[in-house]
Amino acid sequence: MSEPRFESEDLERMLADALRPIEPPERLGSRVESTLSMLTGAAANELSWWADELSETELQALRDPRNWVRPVAAAAVGGVAGTALVLIEVRRRRRGEGLRGFADGIRRAIG
Amino acid sequence: MAESSSTDPAATASGNGAPAGKRDLDRAFEALYREHLRDVYSYCYYRIGNHHDAEDVTEQTFLQAYRHFERAQRESDGRPLRPWLIRIAHNLAANYHRDRSRRPTAALDNVEPVEHPHGTERIVEGRERMREVMSGLDRLSDDRREALIMRFSLGMSNREIARALGRSDGATKVLIHRAIKQLEEELQAAGASDE
Repeated sequence: MSEPRFESEDLERMLADALRPIEPPERLGSRVESTLSMLTGAAANELSWWADELSETELQALRDPRNWVRPVAAAAVGGVAGTALVLIEVRRRRRGEGLRGFADGIRRAIG
Repeated sequence: MAESSSTDPAATASGNGAPAGKRDLDRAFEALYREHLRDVYSYCYYRIGNHHDAEDVTEQTFLQAYRHFERAQRESDGRPLRPWLIRIAHNLAANYHRDRSRRPTAALDNVEPVEHPHGTERIVEGRERMREVMSGLDRLSDDRREALIMRFSLGMSNREIARALGRSDGATKVLIHRAIKQLEEELQAAGASDE
Protein backbone atom coordinates (compact mmCIF):
# COMPACT_ATOMS: atom_id res chain seq x y z
CA MET A 1 0.00 0.00 0.00
CA SER A 2 1.46 3.34 -1.07
CA GLU A 3 1.99 6.23 1.30
CA PRO A 4 -0.81 8.80 1.16
CA ARG A 5 0.34 12.00 -0.56
CA PHE A 6 -1.64 14.19 1.77
CA GLU A 7 -1.15 13.63 5.45
CA SER A 8 -4.12 14.63 7.57
CA GLU A 9 -2.04 16.95 9.69
CA ASP A 10 -0.83 18.77 6.58
CA LEU A 11 -4.23 19.40 5.12
CA GLU A 12 -5.15 22.37 7.27
CA ARG A 13 -1.77 23.97 6.61
CA MET A 14 -2.22 23.40 2.88
CA LEU A 15 -5.69 24.92 3.01
CA ALA A 16 -4.36 27.97 4.80
CA ASP A 17 -1.67 28.20 2.16
CA ALA A 18 -4.05 27.78 -0.78
CA LEU A 19 -6.61 30.19 0.64
CA ARG A 20 -4.29 32.83 1.98
CA PRO A 21 -5.84 36.31 2.21
CA ILE A 22 -5.75 38.45 -0.92
CA GLU A 23 -4.73 42.07 -0.66
CA PRO A 24 -7.33 44.28 -2.32
CA PRO A 25 -6.11 46.35 -5.27
CA GLU A 26 -5.50 50.01 -4.51
CA ARG A 27 -8.00 51.07 -7.15
CA LEU A 28 -10.80 49.49 -5.11
CA GLY A 29 -10.70 52.35 -2.61
CA SER A 30 -11.21 54.86 -5.41
CA ARG A 31 -14.13 52.87 -6.76
CA VAL A 32 -15.87 52.77 -3.40
CA GLU A 33 -15.20 56.49 -3.00
CA SER A 34 -16.73 57.21 -6.40
CA THR A 35 -19.84 55.17 -5.73
CA LEU A 36 -20.38 56.70 -2.33
CA SER A 37 -20.06 60.13 -3.91
CA MET A 38 -22.81 59.11 -6.32
CA LEU A 39 -24.97 58.29 -3.34
CA THR A 40 -24.24 61.76 -2.02
CA GLY A 41 -25.84 63.12 -5.17
CA ALA A 42 -28.92 61.00 -4.61
CA ALA A 43 -29.12 62.26 -1.07
CA ALA A 44 -28.76 65.86 -2.25
CA ASN A 45 -31.93 65.45 -4.27
CA GLU A 46 -33.65 64.39 -1.11
CA LEU A 47 -32.62 67.64 0.55
CA SER A 48 -35.14 69.67 -1.38
CA TRP A 49 -37.84 67.30 -0.24
CA TRP A 50 -37.60 67.98 3.42
CA ALA A 51 -35.36 71.03 3.64
CA ASP A 52 -38.22 73.17 4.85
CA GLU A 53 -38.43 70.93 7.88
CA LEU A 54 -34.86 71.64 8.93
CA SER A 55 -33.75 74.31 11.32
CA GLU A 56 -31.70 77.22 9.96
CA THR A 57 -28.59 75.88 11.68
CA GLU A 58 -28.98 72.48 10.06
CA LEU A 59 -29.56 74.04 6.66
CA GLN A 60 -26.42 76.14 6.93
CA ALA A 61 -24.42 73.08 7.83
CA LEU A 62 -25.85 71.01 5.02
CA ARG A 63 -25.20 73.68 2.38
CA ASP A 64 -21.50 73.23 3.00
CA PRO A 65 -20.30 70.36 0.75
CA ARG A 66 -17.61 69.59 3.26
CA ASN A 67 -20.31 68.27 5.50
CA TRP A 68 -21.53 65.89 2.82
CA VAL A 69 -18.38 64.25 1.70
CA ARG A 70 -15.55 63.84 4.13
CA PRO A 71 -12.39 62.62 2.46
CA VAL A 72 -10.44 60.23 4.52
CA ALA A 73 -6.73 60.09 3.91
CA ALA A 74 -5.40 57.08 2.14
CA ALA A 75 -5.28 54.32 4.68
CA ALA A 76 -2.85 51.47 4.71
CA VAL A 77 -4.85 48.30 4.55
CA GLY A 78 -3.17 45.13 5.67
CA GLY A 79 0.13 46.95 5.73
CA VAL A 80 0.47 46.81 1.96
CA ALA A 81 -2.36 48.19 -0.04
CA GLY A 82 -3.18 51.82 0.40
CA THR A 83 -6.72 52.84 -0.17
CA ALA A 84 -9.04 55.69 0.49
CA LEU A 85 -12.59 55.87 1.61
CA VAL A 86 -14.96 58.75 1.43
CA LEU A 87 -17.51 58.59 4.15
CA ILE A 88 -20.67 60.29 3.14
CA GLU A 89 -22.47 62.46 5.60
CA VAL A 90 -25.95 61.74 4.36
CA ARG A 91 -28.65 62.94 6.67
CA ARG A 92 -31.30 60.29 6.86
CA ARG A 93 -34.70 60.83 8.24
CA ARG A 94 -36.80 57.82 8.92
CA ARG A 95 -40.02 59.11 7.60
CA GLY A 96 -42.36 58.52 4.68
CA GLU A 97 -41.29 59.04 1.12
CA GLY A 98 -38.01 60.65 2.03
CA LEU A 99 -36.49 57.45 3.25
CA ARG A 100 -38.03 55.38 0.50
CA GLY A 101 -36.76 57.78 -2.13
CA PHE A 102 -33.29 57.65 -0.63
CA ALA A 103 -33.40 53.86 -0.57
CA ASP A 104 -34.45 53.87 -4.22
CA GLY A 105 -31.51 56.11 -5.01
CA ILE A 106 -29.17 53.67 -3.35
CA ARG A 107 -30.72 50.74 -5.20
CA ARG A 108 -30.29 52.55 -8.51
CA ALA A 109 -26.72 53.39 -7.68
CA ILE A 110 -25.72 49.89 -6.73
CA GLY A 111 -28.22 48.11 -8.95
CA MET B 1 -19.70 53.21 19.79
CA ALA B 2 -22.33 55.89 19.99
CA GLU B 3 -25.91 54.95 19.44
CA SER B 4 -27.57 58.34 19.51
CA SER B 5 -30.22 59.02 16.90
CA SER B 6 -29.28 61.12 13.90
CA THR B 7 -32.78 62.62 13.92
CA ASP B 8 -32.38 64.12 17.34
CA PRO B 9 -31.73 67.88 16.97
CA ALA B 10 -30.20 67.89 20.43
CA ALA B 11 -27.48 65.62 19.11
CA THR B 12 -26.34 68.22 16.58
CA ALA B 13 -22.74 69.09 17.31
CA SER B 14 -21.34 72.55 17.17
CA GLY B 15 -18.37 71.38 15.08
CA ASN B 16 -19.25 70.75 11.43
CA GLY B 17 -22.98 70.86 11.97
CA ALA B 18 -23.49 67.12 11.48
CA PRO B 19 -25.18 65.28 14.33
CA ALA B 20 -22.72 63.87 16.83
CA GLY B 21 -24.32 60.44 16.57
CA LYS B 22 -23.95 60.47 12.81
CA ARG B 23 -20.30 61.43 13.00
CA ASP B 24 -19.64 58.65 15.48
CA LEU B 25 -21.47 56.26 13.22
CA ASP B 26 -19.37 57.26 10.21
CA ARG B 27 -16.18 56.93 12.21
CA ALA B 28 -17.25 53.46 13.29
CA PHE B 29 -18.04 52.55 9.70
CA GLU B 30 -14.68 53.83 8.57
CA ALA B 31 -13.01 51.61 11.18
CA LEU B 32 -15.06 48.64 10.05
CA TYR B 33 -14.11 49.29 6.44
CA ARG B 34 -10.41 49.57 7.18
CA GLU B 35 -10.38 46.52 9.40
CA HIS B 36 -12.29 44.19 7.11
CA LEU B 37 -11.67 45.30 3.52
CA ARG B 38 -9.14 42.53 3.05
CA ASP B 39 -11.45 39.94 4.60
CA VAL B 40 -14.36 40.91 2.37
CA TYR B 41 -12.18 41.12 -0.72
CA SER B 42 -10.52 37.76 -0.03
CA TYR B 43 -13.86 36.10 0.53
CA CYS B 44 -15.29 37.62 -2.66
CA TYR B 45 -12.23 36.66 -4.66
CA TYR B 46 -12.35 33.02 -3.60
CA ARG B 47 -16.11 32.91 -4.17
CA ILE B 48 -16.06 34.69 -7.53
CA GLY B 49 -12.70 33.67 -8.94
CA ASN B 50 -11.60 36.86 -10.66
CA HIS B 51 -10.43 40.23 -9.43
CA HIS B 52 -12.74 42.35 -11.54
CA ASP B 53 -16.01 40.89 -10.30
CA ALA B 54 -14.63 40.42 -6.80
CA GLU B 55 -14.09 44.18 -6.68
CA ASP B 56 -17.70 44.77 -7.76
CA VAL B 57 -19.08 42.48 -5.09
CA THR B 58 -16.76 43.94 -2.44
CA GLU B 59 -17.93 47.43 -3.29
CA GLN B 60 -21.58 46.38 -3.14
CA THR B 61 -20.97 44.68 0.17
CA PHE B 62 -19.75 47.88 1.81
CA LEU B 63 -22.54 49.94 0.27
CA GLN B 64 -25.12 47.51 1.62
CA ALA B 65 -23.34 47.56 4.95
CA TYR B 66 -23.40 51.35 5.04
CA ARG B 67 -27.14 51.37 4.46
CA HIS B 68 -27.83 49.12 7.40
CA PHE B 69 -24.87 49.92 9.61
CA GLU B 70 -26.75 51.86 12.26
CA ARG B 71 -29.25 49.06 12.79
CA ALA B 72 -26.55 46.40 12.71
CA GLN B 73 -24.61 48.22 15.40
CA ARG B 74 -27.71 48.62 17.51
CA GLU B 75 -28.65 44.96 17.23
CA SER B 76 -25.15 43.49 17.47
CA ASP B 77 -25.15 44.04 21.22
CA GLY B 78 -21.41 44.55 21.18
CA ARG B 79 -20.61 41.43 19.17
CA PRO B 80 -18.14 41.71 16.27
CA LEU B 81 -19.69 42.76 12.99
CA ARG B 82 -17.42 40.72 10.74
CA PRO B 83 -19.88 37.80 10.42
CA TRP B 84 -22.59 40.27 9.40
CA LEU B 85 -20.29 41.80 6.80
CA ILE B 86 -19.30 38.41 5.42
CA ARG B 87 -22.94 37.34 5.35
CA ILE B 88 -23.69 40.32 3.12
CA ALA B 89 -20.80 39.34 0.85
CA HIS B 90 -21.99 35.73 0.94
CA ASN B 91 -25.50 36.72 -0.22
CA LEU B 92 -24.21 39.06 -2.91
CA ALA B 93 -21.83 36.40 -4.22
CA ALA B 94 -24.74 33.95 -4.36
CA ASN B 95 -26.75 36.53 -6.32
CA TYR B 96 -23.80 37.00 -8.63
CA HIS B 97 -23.67 33.32 -9.49
CA ARG B 98 -27.42 33.03 -9.76
CA ASP B 99 -27.65 36.02 -12.09
CA ARG B 100 -24.91 34.72 -14.31
CA SER B 101 -25.76 31.04 -13.94
CA ARG B 102 -22.15 30.37 -13.12
CA ARG B 103 -20.86 27.84 -10.69
CA PRO B 104 -18.35 29.26 -8.26
CA THR B 105 -16.43 26.01 -8.41
CA ALA B 106 -15.46 26.64 -12.03
CA ALA B 107 -13.82 29.88 -11.01
CA LEU B 108 -11.73 28.45 -8.18
CA ASP B 109 -9.75 26.36 -10.62
CA ASN B 110 -8.62 29.56 -12.27
CA VAL B 111 -7.49 31.21 -9.06
CA GLU B 112 -3.83 32.04 -9.40
CA PRO B 113 -1.75 30.58 -6.60
CA VAL B 114 -0.31 33.27 -4.38
CA GLU B 115 3.44 33.85 -4.59
CA HIS B 116 5.53 31.84 -2.18
CA PRO B 117 8.85 32.91 -0.72
CA HIS B 118 10.45 29.51 -1.30
CA GLY B 119 13.08 28.02 -3.59
CA THR B 120 12.28 27.02 -7.18
CA GLU B 121 11.80 23.33 -6.46
CA ARG B 122 9.52 24.03 -3.56
CA ILE B 123 7.59 26.55 -5.63
CA VAL B 124 6.85 23.96 -8.30
CA GLU B 125 5.87 21.37 -5.73
CA GLY B 126 3.89 23.91 -3.77
CA ARG B 127 1.99 25.16 -6.79
CA GLU B 128 1.11 21.63 -7.85
CA ARG B 129 -0.16 20.80 -4.40
CA MET B 130 -2.08 24.03 -4.25
CA ARG B 131 -3.78 23.29 -7.54
CA GLU B 132 -4.77 19.90 -6.20
CA VAL B 133 -6.21 21.54 -3.11
CA MET B 134 -8.11 24.02 -5.28
CA SER B 135 -9.46 21.21 -7.45
CA GLY B 136 -10.52 19.38 -4.30
CA LEU B 137 -12.28 22.49 -3.05
CA ASP B 138 -14.07 22.71 -6.39
CA ARG B 139 -15.64 19.35 -5.82
CA LEU B 140 -17.08 20.29 -2.44
CA SER B 141 -20.65 21.48 -2.09
CA ASP B 142 -21.08 25.24 -1.95
CA ASP B 143 -21.73 25.42 1.78
CA ARG B 144 -18.71 23.26 2.63
CA ARG B 145 -16.43 25.27 0.39
CA GLU B 146 -17.73 28.58 1.77
CA ALA B 147 -17.15 27.41 5.33
CA LEU B 148 -13.56 26.46 4.48
CA ILE B 149 -12.92 29.82 2.83
CA MET B 150 -14.18 31.58 5.96
CA ARG B 151 -12.07 29.37 8.20
CA PHE B 152 -8.80 29.26 6.30
CA SER B 153 -8.74 32.51 4.36
CA LEU B 154 -10.37 34.76 6.93
CA GLY B 155 -9.47 32.84 10.07
CA MET B 156 -13.03 32.94 11.36
CA SER B 157 -14.04 30.91 14.39
CA ASN B 158 -16.80 28.31 14.28
CA ARG B 159 -19.11 30.78 16.00
CA GLU B 160 -18.36 33.54 13.49
CA ILE B 161 -18.91 31.16 10.58
CA ALA B 162 -22.17 30.00 12.13
CA ARG B 163 -23.39 33.58 12.32
CA ALA B 164 -22.29 34.33 8.76
CA LEU B 165 -24.01 31.25 7.38
CA GLY B 166 -27.08 31.51 9.61
CA ARG B 167 -26.52 28.10 11.17
CA SER B 168 -26.14 26.81 14.69
CA ASP B 169 -22.67 26.42 16.19
CA GLY B 170 -23.10 22.64 16.25
CA ALA B 171 -24.22 22.40 12.65
CA THR B 172 -21.29 24.57 11.59
CA LYS B 173 -18.80 22.41 13.44
CA VAL B 174 -20.17 19.34 11.68
CA LEU B 175 -20.14 21.16 8.32
CA ILE B 176 -16.46 22.06 8.65
CA HIS B 177 -15.50 18.62 9.90
CA ARG B 178 -17.23 16.95 6.95
CA ALA B 179 -15.74 19.44 4.51
CA ILE B 180 -12.21 18.69 5.69
CA LYS B 181 -12.89 14.96 5.73
CA GLN B 182 -14.25 15.00 2.18
CA LEU B 183 -11.38 17.13 0.94
CA GLU B 184 -8.90 14.79 2.56
CA GLU B 185 -10.52 11.84 0.80
CA GLU B 186 -10.58 13.71 -2.50
CA LEU B 187 -6.88 14.48 -2.26
CA GLN B 188 -5.99 10.95 -1.21
CA ALA B 189 -7.97 9.60 -4.16
CA ALA B 190 -6.32 12.04 -6.55
CA GLY B 191 -2.92 11.04 -5.21
CA ALA B 192 -3.65 7.34 -5.58
CA SER B 193 -4.84 7.74 -9.16
CA ASP B 194 -1.63 9.57 -10.09
CA GLU B 195 0.57 6.69 -8.94
